[in-house]
Amino acid sequence: MRGRRALALAWLAPAAGLLALAATALLLGFLLREAAPAWGWELFFGRAPAWPAFWGRLPVWDGIWPACLGTLSLVALASLLAVPLGVAAGIHLAVYAGGRSRRLLSLAVDILASVPSIVMGLFGFALILLLRATLLPSANTCLLLAAACLALLILPYLVSATRLALLSLPPELGLQGAALGLSRWQNLRHVLLPAAGRGILGGVMLGVGRAAEDTAVIMLTGVVANAGLPAGLLGKFEALPFQIFYLASQYQGPEELRLGFGAALTLLALTGLLFLGASGLQRTLERRWRR
Amino acid sequence: MTQPDDNLAGRIRGLKVAFAGRPALAGVDLDLPRGRLTVVLGRSGSGKTTLLRSLNRLNECLPDCRTQGLVQLRLGGTWRDIHQDEAPVEDLRRRVGMVFQTPALLPLSVAKNLTLPLRLTLGLGKAEALEAGQRALVKAQRWDEVKDRLRQPAVGLSGGQQQRLCLARALALGPEILLLDEPTASLDYQATAKIEELLLSLAGEYTLVVVSHGLGQARRLAHQVAVLRQGLCSRVLEGIGLRDGRLLEELLDEAF
Amino acid sequence: MPSRPERRPAREGWVEGALGLAALTAALAVAAILGFLLYFSLPLFEQGQWTKLLTWHWRPQQGQFGILAMLAGSLCLGLSSLALAFPLGVGVVCCAHGLGPGWLSRLMMPLVRFLAGVPTVVYGFAAVFLLVPLVRDGLGEGSGVCWLSAMLVLALLTLPTVALLVDAQFAALEPRLHLAAAALGLTRAQELRYLILPLSGRGLGAAATLGFGRAVGDTLVPLMLSGNAPQPPLSLFDSLRTLTAHIALVLATDSGSLVYGSLFASGLILFALACLVHLALAWLRASGQGVARSRS
Repeated sequence: MRGRRALALAWLAPAAGLLALAATALLLGFLLREAAPAWGWELFFGRAPAWPAFWGRLPVWDGIWPACLGTLSLVALASLLAVPLGVAAGIHLAVYAGGRSRRLLSLAVDILASVPSIVMGLFGFALILLLRATLLPSANTCLLLAAACLALLILPYLVSATRLALLSLPPELGLQGAALGLSRWQNLRHVLLPAAGRGILGGVMLGVGRAAEDTAVIMLTGVVANAGLPAGLLGKFEALPFQIFYLASQYQGPEELRLGFGAALTLLALTGLLFLGASGLQRTLERRWRR
Repeated sequence: MTQPDDNLAGRIRGLKVAFAGRPALAGVDLDLPRGRLTVVLGRSGSGKTTLLRSLNRLNECLPDCRTQGLVQLRLGGTWRDIHQDEAPVEDLRRRVGMVFQTPALLPLSVAKNLTLPLRLTLGLGKAEALEAGQRALVKAQRWDEVKDRLRQPAVGLSGGQQQRLCLARALALGPEILLLDEPTASLDYQATAKIEELLLSLAGEYTLVVVSHGLGQARRLAHQVAVLRQGLCSRVLEGIGLRDGRLLEELLDEAF
Repeated sequence: MPSRPERRPAREGWVEGALGLAALTAALAVAAILGFLLYFSLPLFEQGQWTKLLTWHWRPQQGQFGILAMLAGSLCLGLSSLALAFPLGVGVVCCAHGLGPGWLSRLMMPLVRFLAGVPTVVYGFAAVFLLVPLVRDGLGEGSGVCWLSAMLVLALLTLPTVALLVDAQFAALEPRLHLAAAALGLTRAQELRYLILPLSGRGLGAAATLGFGRAVGDTLVPLMLSGNAPQPPLSLFDSLRTLTAHIALVLATDSGSLVYGSLFASGLILFALACLVHLALAWLRASGQGVARSRS
């Protein structure tokens, strides 16, 4: 009996592996097959001439370029807000915070990490409701709001990655800097942070990937299907993931459907690279300090 | 405060250190003669490293540490109570240099390892720092070996070379007291001999405190031996006592 | 004489202050989210309308704002896809740790890490055109957008969350056990089955908890694949609506204070679920020795 149960595991585990592999292969194969014909300049710029459209001098009506630029500005803005904040908070948690305040702050970061993204979007929406009722009757959902909510969404990734990277350094590294008479900040700035750099960078890439793929937050905070190029911080915008979502239900004709597949493959390539890079960086960090 | 006599560089009275409520030192009394080499002997867990680290207040960098007692050091010609000091703790740590058990180099080039602490703690310019680093290398008998390799990563050097580079790095900061935590523990016989020779040549100009794991090393190096047992300084031997075979045997029994 | 804290140069003071302020911002963000959710669902409680939420009927035109169907939808979909993803994840990790042919083992963790990077919306998009027709035509039941479709895709989405945590747990145990197990003459399968799996109990619990949190918190997959009919789900081929999809759907179309109130109540429930997930994780980590944390 006992032997048979171990034997069952020996069969079930590879079966599970094969199943996961098959599902992934099916997904990827299907996406590639459907998206391959769409891939090309036309996917991005439609019938507009590529070069002027690239610089935004010509509007693009039937390509995903505006959505790409929208996602790019959204991610850049969110990172601009979240990276300094997240890294600084991670440093504080790893090095400075002690006892009670560390426990409270870690609790907050952990809860923030498990809040679903739609709730983050709802928060942004509520912020606009409040602004309309009080200070700014004209307030509306916009690029800045979406970026701020996305920043909240990725903040925990940055904090945890920074904290983990600093805490997994060998303790002697911190002691020797202190023994040489470096102050805490000097030690951090010149010794610990450079040594933890890869891990932190991995966390940043992970956060950027999450910001690029998330749809639920921006759905409630200002993304629209046809805004053209992002007009400004307070304007509506397009974004790749929302474009994909929109086309899945609202496509008119095979032309637009192919656009959807092309957009899906583009987004997959973007986030896939970011995530692989991030996990690669974090694993080399682990190996480097293992004795 | 009573002024200790001028042949001393340090005076420890009733020193108690505990980590998270667990005592590591339980009231150590010890005098450190000036310009001499004191070897601290003891079993692992007897508090040797903690004693060493309480001299530059490095224990405070570890979590949940509590220190009580008096530590006075003679620095720059005046006696200072290191816990009641006006100067920042970084100044103390610069004047009381430390070398770790395993060579602890920063993941940087040889030259940067020497100059970075100088530039940060003393605010030296690049050229000045490099010059001071060179002087320290000469003193640590390392200049000839590494003068062509200053730009290379320091972790590529051999164990003995790394350890002497650590020593040079500590010397470059112009300390008056040097603390060494089992500096030869990770080295082979030849590299150990070189380090010991170097330490002997430095005694006189500096006050050295060396934590050691071997009675043989204590006999070769020490002007004074302090034996730690369960967080207490159980015996201090100096001068002639160290040559006495029977006393040494007793010491052996007591320490290990 | 107790030791005093280190004295530091003054200019470092503001650096430390800035770092602390950043950490405080993260804490304030959580407080702000909770505060907003509470504030905007307050009207419901004040006017005693909250009892209207706890019914099975969502017909805003007729003044019925029940969200129980959505709560049931979230729980059913989350638990069922976890029931699929959890054994699959454990199996995949066992496979990665040496059960099965070598080429398959070596593929597993890279596969999992790749899956972790696939955007939710891409899963949804591919499934709309690949899985939904299969369910509709192959199984011949209804429109194909239903509990089953959403469950299958959500399981694939949850798989990396579960697998990465289980892998971290196994990796933490293996160095201690592998030599001893091999010396006892255990096969790889026996070692995994009788040593590593039983010893990972709490780690597996943590993986399941985190997986559940991920499945319940997802919006796009249920929104695109589950049909979104606000009704209690009774069969796998029924359409269902989750709390997350409910928020996204209603906010895009309706307005009116009670409608909004019910949305914020939904958000509050999701927030509470997230806190429960975190509490369970914290409890598992505190009571078990060495429950590993996932690295990504």
